[in-house]
Order: sequence, then C-alpha cells, then structure tokens
Amino acid sequence: MSGAELRLGAVAYHPRIVTIWERFRTYFADAGVPTDYILFSNYERLVEAVLDGTVEIGWNTNTAYVALDHRAQGATRILGMRDVDRDWATVLVMRKGQWPGSVAGLNGRVLALGSRDSGHAAILPLHYLAAQGVDLATLRLRRFDTDIGKHGDTGDSELHVVRAVAEGKADAGALSAAYFSAFRAESVPAVADLEVVWRSPDYYHCNFTVLDALDPELSERWSEALLAMDYDDPSLRAAMDLEGVRRWYPGDREGYASLRTAMLEQSVIS
Amino acid sequence: MTADRKQAEVVHRVDAEHLELGGGLEVLLAAALERVAPGGVLEIRTPSRAVALELPGWARLAGHEPVGEDHRRDGHVVAIRRGASARILAGPLPPRDLGPTLREGELRTADWRSGAPPPDPDPRAGFAPLGAVVETGAPAQHWALSHGDAIWADDVGELVDQASGQQWDASRDIPWEAVQGLDNTTERAVAQVMTFLAQNEYAALYVPAGFLPQVNPQFVEVVLWLGSHVHDEARHIEVFTKRSLAGGHHGYALASTELSLSTLLDEHDFTASSLLLNVLGEGTFLDLLRFIETHAPDAATATAARLAHRDERRHVHFGISNIKRALGVDPDQVGTLVAAAETRAAKLVSLSGLSPILVEALTVMAARSLQPADLSDAAADVRTLMRTMERNRLRRLGACGFSAATARHLSDLHTPNLM
Repeated sequence: MSGAELRLGAVAYHPRIVTIWERFRTYFADAGVPTDYILFSNYERLVEAVLDGTVEIGWNTNTAYVALDHRAQGATRILGMRDVDRDWATVLVMRKGQWPGSVAGLNGRVLALGSRDSGHAAILPLHYLAAQGVDLATLRLRRFDTDIGKHGDTGDSELHVVRAVAEGKADAGALSAAYFSAFRAESVPAVADLEVVWRSPDYYHCNFTVLDALDPELSERWSEALLAMDYDDPSLRAAMDLEGVRRWYPGDREGYASLRTAMLEQSVIS
Repeated sequence: MTADRKQAEVVHRVDAEHLELGGGLEVLLAAALERVAPGGVLEIRTPSRAVALELPGWARLAGHEPVGEDHRRDGHVVAIRRGASARILAGPLPPRDLGPTLREGELRTADWRSGAPPPDPDPRAGFAPLGAVVETGAPAQHWALSHGDAIWADDVGELVDQASGQQWDASRDIPWEAVQGLDNTTERAVAQVMTFLAQNEYAALYVPAGFLPQVNPQFVEVVLWLGSHVHDEARHIEVFTKRSLAGGHHGYALASTELSLSTLLDEHDFTASSLLLNVLGEGTFLDLLRFIETHAPDAATATAARLAHRDERRHVHFGISNIKRALGVDPDQVGTLVAAAETRAAKLVSLSGLSPILVEALTVMAARSLQPADLSDAAADVRTLMRTMERNRLRRLGACGFSAATARHLSDLHTPNLM
C-alpha cells in the first residue's frame, strides 16, 4: 500500500459490500486518488476508526454521521452522498383501510419499529410522530432490533416491521420509503395489503465523512472523482446498482438537523 | 406544488385512475416515462392518498426525482422528473419490421434471417437471440468457434428443420416384440453388431457435443444443428443398446474400436472433424446401416437401422456441405484436412482390417445360421458391403470437392474400424 493511499471505512452489512468496493477501489485508483477500503462490522466501530485516524473517510449512515460530527464537535466535512440520500423519508404503513385519518389517531395503538439505532425506522419516526401530536407514552412499541450496529442498512428489521403489520401484530409500522418501495418492487407478500398512510419530511441519509484535519486539497480531489462516477459506464453500473446510486452529489449538513434533534431528544447522543 | 417547478416544465400527464403500486401502476408509469425526455416532468393524477404518498419512494427507486405533490379534495397529483440514466445500456430498439416471410404457412429456419450470418461476429458477445439488441456491461464470453468459414454450411437451416421434423422415439417406434424367437446363434451375432454400433455412436455424440459450447451463438443455426446431432446420437446409443439387450445376449465393446474412436476425440478442428466423423465415419456407417436393415433377422433390428440411417444421412450431408464451403473459401485447406486424416491413421497403425469379431457377427447375422451354404452367401454379401463402402466414400469425398487422387488417398487412410 502506498503512503498516498486514502483509507475508507465501510460497514459490511451484506456480502455485496465487497463487490462494490472492489470495483470502486479500482475506480479511485484510475481516477488518481487511490483509496483502499476497510470493512467494519458496525457503525460504532467505524466512527471510532474515523476519530482515531484508522481510516480517513467514513461511509456513514445518517445516525453514524451525526454521532461522529457530535463527537468531533462539528469539525467534519461531507465529501458526497448518493442521489437517494438527499430525500430519504420515513413512511408509516398500515393495513389497507385502517388509517384513522390523522397521525394523532395512532395514540394508544401498537407501532412496529425497526432496529433502535436506525434513523429512519426507529429514531426519526418517534421524533416526527411526537411533533405531529402523538403522545409517545401511549404507544405500545413493538421493536425489531435485528440488525443492531448496522443502523437499519440490512432492511431486515424493516421486513419484520411490514410482516408484523400485515399479520395484525402491530397497527402501524415505520420504515424507510426506500425499503418499502424495494419490498414492493420485489413483490414481498407482506406488503401486498399495506398502504402508506403518512410520509415524513425529507431528510438526508448516508454520506462520506472526513475530519476537518484531512488535507482539503486531497479531499476535494476525492470528492471530484466520486461525483464523476458515471452510471452509464457499463463497467460501473453493476457496482453502482448494488450501492443503490445512479449519481453522486456533494453533501451538506442541512438535511441532518432533524436527526440531530431526535438523537438528542432520545439521548442517543448527549 | 413546490415553487421550484414551473408549470411550463410539465410535458406529460397520466391518470392512474384506480391503479396502485404493486398492482400495475408501475407498468403504466414506465410506459408514460418512455415518452418523457430525461429531465422532463411527468404529472401523475391519482384518487388515492396512499398511492400519492408512496409515489416519491417509487420514483427514487426507479431513478427519477420526486419534484412536487398536490393533495386536494378531488384527488392527488404527484410530479416526478425523469432521471437522466438509461434503463438499458443499449441503443433504442429498431422500428417494427415485416418479420420473416412464411413459406406455405411455415416459418422455416432457413428464412428467419436475411442472408448469411456475419462472417466474424464479436467472439465476446453473449447469448443474443437473432434480432436482439444487446445491452453492454455483460460479462464477456470467449467463443473458440467464431469464424463462419470454419463452421457454416449453406443449407444448415434446412438441415435443422429436417432434424426437428424427423425425430423418433426409440421406446415406442421400434417393434420390440419382433425380437422374440431368434435362435441363440443369430441373436448372439445381433447382440455383437448392436454393441459395436452403440459403442461407435458414443463417439458420434461426444464429438459434436464437444464443439457445441465453443460455437459463437451468432451462428445459431450451427448451435441448433449440433444440438440435433447430439440428440440424434443419444437416440442411436439408446436404440442400439436396447436392441443388444432385448434378445438377452451380450456383445464385446472392442478395444480396437475404442482406439479408433479415441482418435476421433483427439481432433479439435471443426472442419477436420467434419471430414473424419461426418463424411468418412458416418458416411461409411450409412452403408453399414443399410446392410443391417437389409439383412436384419427381425423387424426391430431393421427398423432401428432404418431410422438411424435417416439421421446419419443428415449428418453426412452437413459434413459434405461444411467441407465444400470451406474448400471453396480456401482451397489450401485440402492440405490441412489430409494432414488430419494422416495424423489419425498414424495412430491407428496397429489396426489391420475390421475386427474379425465384427465380420463374423455381421456374417452370422446375415446368414441366420451356421450352415455352410448360408454362410457362403452372407460372407459374399459382407465382402460386397466393404466394396460398397469404399465406392461411396470416394463419391462423398468427391462431393466435398476433393480431387479423385486426394479422395483415393483419404479413403485409403480411413480407419478399418469404419467409424
């Protein structure tokens, strides 16, 4: 490994992560910003690795980014994010015809949530529901903490959420709009009789984060290379499809405000 | 409706009516978006609040950008901006054409493309059916047989159709009950002849089967042809094995036959293999099968030989066509083909004449007894068969385009094992 090589940390939430980063690693080398990748089993370890300099770039979930930025006291920069990360949203789903007409009508009902460290399937739903007038103390929560440490990346806990609602074990369930649409596209049987009853405001999801200490010229070149990745390049399409991105965008902090508030409210960070 | 989108941007509108996502709405939207240029906006009207809430997530997943929502008492409108990425990494499909011409109501393989295939298609191209537009980005293949001159035959399309039209069933199309009642001597001879045929038919299957996965799929007719050849030989193995077993006797799988067949498997050049297997081997078998049909002591044996003969004629025809075309393109290939026959003959120097075990079995089968008078007539018939084989070999080699002298040389080099 050459001394000029950047180290990027990602969480191995699925075997495809290796396929993705093997391809991207070649891409960044060809683009003149050699980047090796190091895989972690959970985002907490990745945040530590960015802070202690084991890796320069963290490919973070929104929850991991807010935690990292909080611990770095705001001394972080965002180098880029996927097109889909710019308008991520949480949806509430119910069995068809069960919508009480307002979010406040969910008071006293059973709500299924994904893994408790998932921004979109646990932390933000509670934040938004409270803001919409739901008395959280009256909710009976049915949590599916099946991929703790992965921050909901696997979609596994969200699959449990839609199944719980479909089977009547919960009145409503919260998950990302992205996963709900993916379940629809894959014809997951549990979603056939569900409908979206509410969608949250948009917020940001994943991003590539570095500490401010990293050489700005280097991080700028890396960001430029990222944004130049072309989905219409046949040699890149398969890896970009696996990553769920068609186009990379520069990022900013704006879309993380709601999650930061929610994490403070729920004492995920303090 | 969000302020950042002006009404003038809307290029298309679609009314979802009561369609839902997961229930056909995706199909309607995909068709509607085909008419929208990248960056253009499609407005979707739906009476369902749930559908309207779900559409932005669908749009993102499909590579589009949700750009506005309007929820009113009389319905909901969701606007999405079409993404810039192509769904398929390929050019547009060509406009509808007239399709292939029918002949007497039939869509024949010879008519499904206009003209011959491209002579040198991309050797890395994949399984692209005729007429298909290929998406890029697929893993590269590597087809060893990718030059039309090496594998094509001008009438391969007709041969493919004949092969499909002349399929038969070795379990049901043979009068198996006719096997009963033959004496031990005759039945033992039949078992040996059938064992010999079946042993040879294995090589006749393995050789085209070895070439099949090397053929560039752009030569689809050759792929279909080799598939039919393999299938024919599978049935020949089946029917001759069944006939050898049906009478209760058993025959030898001869070492000399195995030696001869192993040299067929050694040949890795397609056209040289056409010469050694199709023209010389299967050609010689045509005469053998005709002899067996004529002299068979029972209807099952005769029928099996007759049906196999019909198939082998196609195989011989392909071999002649393939070599004739190859020599027409490059007459110098004569030297390569003769060298292939000489190389094979050099490996078979230990063979001298057809195995006496087989000659005896053919004679007894034809005589149907061990009576001297019967054996005399049968032995004469077997000698005649050998002359017929040689005469017809020369004729077939002439049809390939070889000179009389070369044909004589090639015929003399041919294996004493017949195949």
